[in-house]
Amino acid sequence: MRWFTADLHIHTVLSPCGGLEMAPKALIGCLKSLGIDWMAITDHNTLANCPAYAAVAAREGVGFTWGVEVQTAEEIHLLVYFDQPDKAQAFGAELYESLLPLPNDPDFFGDQVIIDENENILGMEQRALINSSLWDLNTSVAKAMEYGGYCVPAHIDAEVNSIMSQLGFLPAEPVFPLLGISAGLNLEQYLSKHPELRGKAFLRCSDAHYLNDLGSGSSKVFAHEARVSELAKAALHLEERRLLV
Amino acid sequence: MITLHDYLMEIEGTNHTPGLDPREIVLKGGYVCDMLSDVMGSAREGQAWITIMKHLNTIAVASMTGVPAIILSKGNIPEQAVIDKASEEGICICSSEMDSFSLAGVLYTLLQK
Repeated sequence: MRWFTADLHIHTVLSPCGGLEMAPKALIGCLKSLGIDWMAITDHNTLANCPAYAAVAAREGVGFTWGVEVQTAEEIHLLVYFDQPDKAQAFGAELYESLLPLPNDPDFFGDQVIIDENENILGMEQRALINSSLWDLNTSVAKAMEYGGYCVPAHIDAEVNSIMSQLGFLPAEPVFPLLGISAGLNLEQYLSKHPELRGKAFLRCSDAHYLNDLGSGSSKVFAHEARVSELAKAALHLEERRLLV
Repeated sequence: MITLHDYLMEIEGTNHTPGLDPREIVLKGGYVCDMLSDVMGSAREGQAWITIMKHLNTIAVASMTGVPAIILSKGNIPEQAVIDKASEEGICICSSEMDSFSLAGVLYTLLQK
């Protein structure tokens, strides 16, 4: 086992608010220069750009996890991670069908660009990805689990689109052993205001939309390999895995 | 003084918690918001809370703030587990086909009379 430096919440050119500079080679080059050796792509409500970034990450020797940032009916941002690309894609297809059928307004939100590993444009996603699924939190988690997904509420300290902002406090069900936090959060200060969260594991991520955001937040994971199953064990400190933020 | 019953008549509302009598619930005001963290800080005792949020946590927030009634707009209906919890906590949970703006308008008008 070894320590990984992980940033598991990164957007690409497909996220409407993501910069066009977030193309795979530039993004992964930047991660490597920052010493980040485990990444996840988590665009809003889609996994369509994971193949391109997975291919470049494999070539560059950076651990890669397929992910997505689901926006539930309550407008909670929920990160879902997968070890198996085929299941991830099947989940993505079902998620897509659950999105409200609103068209994207590129002048307002920017283009939603689907690319391949050589940065050729495969297409533009027309449906607005900054948008909610019709699935509520419980349904989203149940669906994710059907496809072997691992769920982590994103940036729980954020004032909008976090499980805490939308629901007021962490619900008793479903149980989340691992909670995402914002890049710059002072966790100790936050826990002093939310003592009920003591004992949970936390995952610090950059939530990068631009290259400049990369490196602003990451987590140290002691694991065998860069896999979601290992992350899940690390969150629970099982079998000597560790997770530090 | 208006009761929840008076309000439900105006908005063609349905009470999902039959164990609670809307005639006995006095409304002093209202609060309209779908973000529970905000409601926790700002809703006051005796207010009807108008929202589309029907997660189980809604009941706990109502209980915490002293809100006696939740009015779900746009015909939203809660799951049975939410209704059960509301009954247990003594919080009347109702639905109306009207949207939150209209529901607030009707309540505001009633309270001004």
